Amino acid sequence: MNAPIKPLKNCGKCGLCLGACPVYKVLKEEQASPRARLQLIKAFENSTLEASPLLKELISKCLMCGSCALACPSGINHYEHFMDMRQKMVESQGEIPAIKSLIYLLSKESRIRMGAGVAKLGQKLAPRWLADKYRLGNIPINQFPRLNPTPFRKTVAATISPKGRKKGSLVYFTGCATHFLYADTGISTVGILTHLGYEVIIPRDQTCCGIPLMFHGAPAVENMMTNIKALCAHDCHGIVVDCTTCGAALKDEYPALIRKTMAKASPADQHTWKALKACARKIAAKTTDILSFIAAHRKELVFDENAPKLGPVAYHAPCHSRNSFKSQPLVQALLRNLPFMDYTPTPDEAECCGGGGTFFYEHPDIAKIMMESKRRHVTAVNARYWLTDCPVCRINLSGNLDKSGDIQVRHPVTLIHGALKKP
Amino acid sequence: MTQITHEIKNQLVHIVTQKRYLDRKEELACYAYDAFWEEAMPHAVIFPETAVEVSRILKIASAHKIPVTARGAGTSLCSASVPVHHGIVLCFSKMDKIVEVNTADRYIIVQPGVINAEVQKALAPFGFFYPPDPGSMNIATIGGNIAQNAGGPRCLKYGVTMDYVLGMEVVLASGEIVNFGSRNVKDVTGYKLSSLFCGSEGTLGLVTRAILKVVPKPESVQTLMVTFRDLDDTAKAVSDIIGSGILPAAMELMDRFTLNAIEDSFGLGLDRTAEGTLLIEIDGIKEACEREMGKIIERLKANNALHIQESSNDADRERLWAARRSAYGVFAKLAPDIVSEDVTVPVSQVPEMVRRIKQITQSYNLTAGVLAHAGDGNMHPMIPADRNNTQEWSRVEKAFDEIFAAAADLGGTLSGEHGIGLAKARYLPLVMNQDSRNLMSRIKQAIDPAGILNPGKFV
Repeated sequence: MNAPIKPLKNCGKCGLCLGACPVYKVLKEEQASPRARLQLIKAFENSTLEASPLLKELISKCLMCGSCALACPSGINHYEHFMDMRQKMVESQGEIPAIKSLIYLLSKESRIRMGAGVAKLGQKLAPRWLADKYRLGNIPINQFPRLNPTPFRKTVAATISPKGRKKGSLVYFTGCATHFLYADTGISTVGILTHLGYEVIIPRDQTCCGIPLMFHGAPAVENMMTNIKALCAHDCHGIVVDCTTCGAALKDEYPALIRKTMAKASPADQHTWKALKACARKIAAKTTDILSFIAAHRKELVFDENAPKLGPVAYHAPCHSRNSFKSQPLVQALLRNLPFMDYTPTPDEAECCGGGGTFFYEHPDIAKIMMESKRRHVTAVNARYWLTDCPVCRINLSGNLDKSGDIQVRHPVTLIHGALKKP
Repeated sequence: MTQITHEIKNQLVHIVTQKRYLDRKEELACYAYDAFWEEAMPHAVIFPETAVEVSRILKIASAHKIPVTARGAGTSLCSASVPVHHGIVLCFSKMDKIVEVNTADRYIIVQPGVINAEVQKALAPFGFFYPPDPGSMNIATIGGNIAQNAGGPRCLKYGVTMDYVLGMEVVLASGEIVNFGSRNVKDVTGYKLSSLFCGSEGTLGLVTRAILKVVPKPESVQTLMVTFRDLDDTAKAVSDIIGSGILPAAMELMDRFTLNAIEDSFGLGLDRTAEGTLLIEIDGIKEACEREMGKIIERLKANNALHIQESSNDADRERLWAARRSAYGVFAKLAPDIVSEDVTVPVSQVPEMVRRIKQITQSYNLTAGVLAHAGDGNMHPMIPADRNNTQEWSRVEKAFDEIFAAAADLGGTLSGEHGIGLAKARYLPLVMNQDSRNLMSRIKQAIDPAGILNPGKFV
């Protein structure tokens, strides 16, 4: 997704993107297809269509999964065109209150902390009957993950020493989800990296990657600057993400955002932007997702021979893992070769789950249909674990399983970490 | 033609509910196009779910003389699904159920909105497949395939859509629901009307269910990638192989320009210097394939093939085919518009036709790629251009005028697999005399007297 942006007019309207689009596959309506969104953007740009609530709705009825861009033989970067258009639509049409408050919260680290505190209080206080009855999007409230008792980054040192001989140091960008919701992912990521002999640096001043804001038309420049500063400050061999969406921000979106912002910046500011650009490039080149990293170092992992065999284990490939990091084949090979796990591929492993940032909240009916066949397939293989390396997918997958808890949804690192040989 | 009044709209909404009736301009704009460059806005878009709904809609449309243009996935390359006279776009994409798979009796019954690839997926577990394989098969619907009598690379050996339609349910403009054919592979009961409707491009009636013949998958498939120093030799190799009595499943020809465009996008490591490349696929019983392969290689060498490479595995094959299938899109990358036609000539004339296409496009100073399902003479001259550049565009139009005339001159025809639609309507006199065209008009008049079905196209 790093290619220079091809002009819209180069869309030959061949329709190949329809076959790649999870939303089109469910709705079978052209207006919900990537091709249609491009034509609408074209019509908006040449003034045959003006901004309207409906135009905004059609543009945002999209998971931003990027599958269309990957399928496009004309090399159109739908993703960037959609991102720009979303911003224009929000500027002219405003945003719904729930999303507005989300953006407000995520755009400042202090607000994220405050929001998480309030939410925790809410989860404690909400009466059971209310929690059972109400849903957020397609997920019942009581099936949302509980917040970490203490945010993850507060529970670990800023620099964690490796086990055994030090091979190098890695910066770990934890993302909001691991920080506030899924500490288990963070603990395991650190555990695996230190097991592999790496010193792990967790910058204290990192914040939300900004992708949720960008999807809702907010440019997220402030988030980007904070993170670039935080990540560039450390000399390291690589930057590891446990969420490929955060990873896509570091790898693809920051350089793109800088390119766009730079074009509009005053000549006096160009110097600052140039420096920032250089940092962003360095970060982009160093960013890797944890599963690709583990796959590359698999032979160095030492497993506990007595670790119980887990299985069957299914995998769900998140959109940014497939389309931005292209890690799916690596992950499949990794899972297949783990001695303690019975990995059982399901036919629609790479099909979207409908999470898509806040898509499941905004379009619960569509998300529910996407989930349905996936759920059928993992149930059919009797999966005990359903692994995925995206926190939104994790929320969505677990939120849509029945409450019995027969299938546990986890980040792959948690099982890998659990099977490592203890010193 | 009549506008859709408030009263008519209420009647239509009553049939399909508000959810399946669109008439806001933002939504309508999404049904003004297909994969051809021409565009026109409909007044309403309706998604039927049953033949009865289609029938009731058509009764209303007929009564008020409202044009009705059928649409599947909107991948037509000849503008067949663009509502040039506005009116209603009837979009069949939600009629997407596979009704019955019966490989014991060798058929599958589907609704028109089922995607070609879904048919393949449904048949694969039984070891069967449905041969027509248009480049858009991952998204194009069976309804559209039937309307356009779609082809594809392996139609060289297996034949086109029409050869696989055993029967169909069709709703006529009057709203009558009629049935032709049956579940039987052999059926000579009455006129073979499914052949009339197959390829009628939505001008005679709308297919609401189809019974398709399916065939067992061959046990072995082998693919060759062959390069030539000379494009003429490439084309001659094709007619030579076919002429010697061998029938591969597919024989795809690409000239140097096309190959380089594909290579720019996919980096498959193809030979960029070769003037001509052939992708040949043979299938059948393993031993027979091997013998045929030997004969093919002999013919290739006799025609000065530079390099012959057998693809070693399925993944390789799939990559080559994916690249070949994306050729249209790859060309689209080169310029804002792309004109791709599908003139077809007898296979013995393929070398001459390739020469003429090259001469004509060069004489108009146009960049063109030649791509062909060469084994059946189905050529795809493709010209990337910019429609806003009127000077260039008029050269493109003139070049195609000559290309169509050349095909007719060589005993060929206008379209091998895309259909006529709007794109080639004006060239019909090249290959059909006035009396023949009148016959088509009389058939149209008899079946759709008010002329509401897909007006403004070739008939």
